[in-house]
Amino acid sequence: MTIKELKEMINLMEEHGLSELEVEKEGLKIRLKRGPSGKIVPESISYPAAPAHSTHRETSAIPPVGQQTGRDTMEAENVIIVRSPMVGTFYSAPAPDVAPYMEKGEKVSVGDVLCIIEAMKLMNEIKSDVSGLVLDILVENGQPVEFDQPLFKIQKA
Amino acid sequence: MFNRILIANRGEVAVRVIRACRELGVRSIAVYSKADRDSLHVRLADDAICIGEAPSSESYLNIPAIISAAEVADVEAIHPGWGFLAENAHFAEICESCQIKFIGPKPESIRLAGDKSVARQVMRKANVPIIPGSKEIIKDQDEAFRVAKKFGYPVIIKAAAGGGGKGMKVAHNDGKLISAFLTAQAEAEAAFGNRSVYIEKYIKEPRHIEVQILADSYGNILHLGERDCSIQRRHQKLIEESPATGVNEKLKRRIGETAVRVAKAVQYENAGTVEFLLDSDDNFYFMEMNTRLQVEHPVTEVITGIDLVKAQIRIAVGEKLKWSQSDIEFKGHAIECRINAEDPDREFLPSPGKIETLIWPGGPGVRVDSHAYAGYHIPPYYDSLIGKIIVHAPTRLEAIAVMQRAVKETVIGPVKTTLPLHEKILNRPRYREGKVSTNFIDTQFTTSKIGALEERPEET
Repeated sequence: MTIKELKEMINLMEEHGLSELEVEKEGLKIRLKRGPSGKIVPESISYPAAPAHSTHRETSAIPPVGQQTGRDTMEAENVIIVRSPMVGTFYSAPAPDVAPYMEKGEKVSVGDVLCIIEAMKLMNEIKSDVSGLVLDILVENGQPVEFDQPLFKIQKA
Repeated sequence: MFNRILIANRGEVAVRVIRACRELGVRSIAVYSKADRDSLHVRLADDAICIGEAPSSESYLNIPAIISAAEVADVEAIHPGWGFLAENAHFAEICESCQIKFIGPKPESIRLAGDKSVARQVMRKANVPIIPGSKEIIKDQDEAFRVAKKFGYPVIIKAAAGGGGKGMKVAHNDGKLISAFLTAQAEAEAAFGNRSVYIEKYIKEPRHIEVQILADSYGNILHLGERDCSIQRRHQKLIEESPATGVNEKLKRRIGETAVRVAKAVQYENAGTVEFLLDSDDNFYFMEMNTRLQVEHPVTEVITGIDLVKAQIRIAVGEKLKWSQSDIEFKGHAIECRINAEDPDREFLPSPGKIETLIWPGGPGVRVDSHAYAGYHIPPYYDSLIGKIIVHAPTRLEAIAVMQRAVKETVIGPVKTTLPLHEKILNRPRYREGKVSTNFIDTQFTTSKIGALEERPEET
C-alpha cells in the first residue's frame, strides 16, 4: 500500500463523510477511523504473520499510528527499534567495570556489537544491522529481557 | 513448597496449572509466543515471558528459550503440562542438569513408556496382559506375513515411536497386509522420524479404558479409578467419562490393580495414565502408558475430589502421598466434552479466528476448563481445543441430562465448534444405554459428500 493509496482512501472518507474504513488487499489490512477531533488516523495495520489459514488473523506487526494521548507513536521512517532475538539477561558492556559497547548519542556502524544477551551461561553478542546514531537505550544493564523486547532505538544514517 | 514455577505450555493447560499454583501460594511464570500475547494464561500468571515467534518449534518446543526463561525468572521447577515437552525425556534431563525440578516422572520412565515396543516387552515380563502381537520390530514383509498368520487377522500395524493415535494401519487379510505395512512405515518415518513398526492383533469394537495413576517419590503408588474414552474420532477423544459404565466392580478392581503393577514395573513417579483396551469378552489388554497428566483429568478430579495438578506439585516437592488406596472414594458419575474450534459439517476443518460471543454454562454440577473469552482470537498455530465442559451428577443418566443442559446453554460464535456434534452424541440411544466402543462415531455417524457429519438412522 503506497502513500498515494492511503491519501486516496482518506479523501474518499472525507468526500463521503465516512467515519470508518477498512481495506484488505493481498493480506495487508488497514483500518482508518475518524477521531473525535475530526482528524482521520490509521487505527490498525496488520500483516499476515504466517501461512496456513487466510481469514481472520490479526497480529499487528507495527504499533498503531495515532496521536491520541497515551499511545506509542510510530517511529519516523528512519528510526528502527532493535529487538531482543532471545530470552536472557541484557548486559551493556563486555564485562563489569568496562565501558559499555554503546552510549546514547554514539555513532554505530553495521556489524558493531550493541550489547550482550546472556542465555544459559552463554554470552551472545548482538550486532547492529544498520549504521547510524543510537537515539536511546531502552533497557538497563543486568535487566532480564524477553524475546522481541525493544532494546535500542537507532536513527539510520 | 516451591516459590516459583514456570509453566512450559499454553492455553487451557497453562490456565489449569496456574490455578493450582495460585491456590498453593506458588508464583506462576508463564511463557508465551508472540501469537499468544493476549492469551488468558499470560494475563493470569504472576509473570510472563515472551519466548519466541508463533510456530511451536520456535516457542513452546524451543528448549533453550524455555530454559533461559526459567533461569531469568529464577524458578525452582517447571511444569510441562501435557503435550509439547511433557513427554520429552531429553527436556526432563536438561531441567535436571540445570537444577530445575521437572514436575513429572523421571526421564527413564518417560523414555521407557515412549518406546511402545519396549513398553510391551516390559509389560510382558511383568505379567501384565498385552495385546497379542510381535515381540519386536517387524524387519521385513516376510516377517509381517508370519506374525499376522500367527495371531490371526485382523491385525494392526503400529509405529514403535508413535502415540496419540497416529501412525496406525489395520489389515484384514494377506492381500492388504503389505500395503498397510509399507504405508505404516512411511507414515511413522514422516510423523516420528522412526520407521520401526510392530504388529498387534486388532481388537474389534474395543472400549478404551484408562486408569489414572498417582505415585510419590517414596514408592507409594495409587490408582484413582478408570475413565472410558471410547467416543473418539480418528483416534482423537471427544467425550470421556468416569466410571466406565457396564463394567462390573470386580473387573474394575482388577484393571486398577493391573495399572498399579504397570506403574511399579517402570518405577513410576508423579501422575500418569495407563491405557487399556477392553474387548467384548471382558478381556483387557495393556495398550500404552502416558507419562503425563491428560486432557481429561478433570473427570477423575470431580469424582474423587482430588486436585491432580496440586498433587503433582506436592509430589515434585518431595511430599508423601497422603492417601492410601482404601482412602480413595468414587462419588457419582462425571462426563467431559471437549469443545474444539472445528467445523463438524466440513470434515472438522479447524476454525480459528475471533470469538465474538462466548457464554459458558454454569449451575450445579458444571465445571468449565478453558482459556477462551469473548474477544479472544484463536490463533491458527496450535491445537483447536478451546475448552472442556465437565459435569458431575449422582448417576450416569443424570450426568447426561446435566451435560445436555450445559451444551444447550453454551454459546460460542461465530467460530464453528464441535458443540452440535456433542448434542447429537448425547441424544443417541446407544450412547445413553452405555453401549460405547471406539467405533461409536464410525457406526453412528457418516460423512456426507460435502464433508458434513450426519447421523445414521437409529436401529429399531
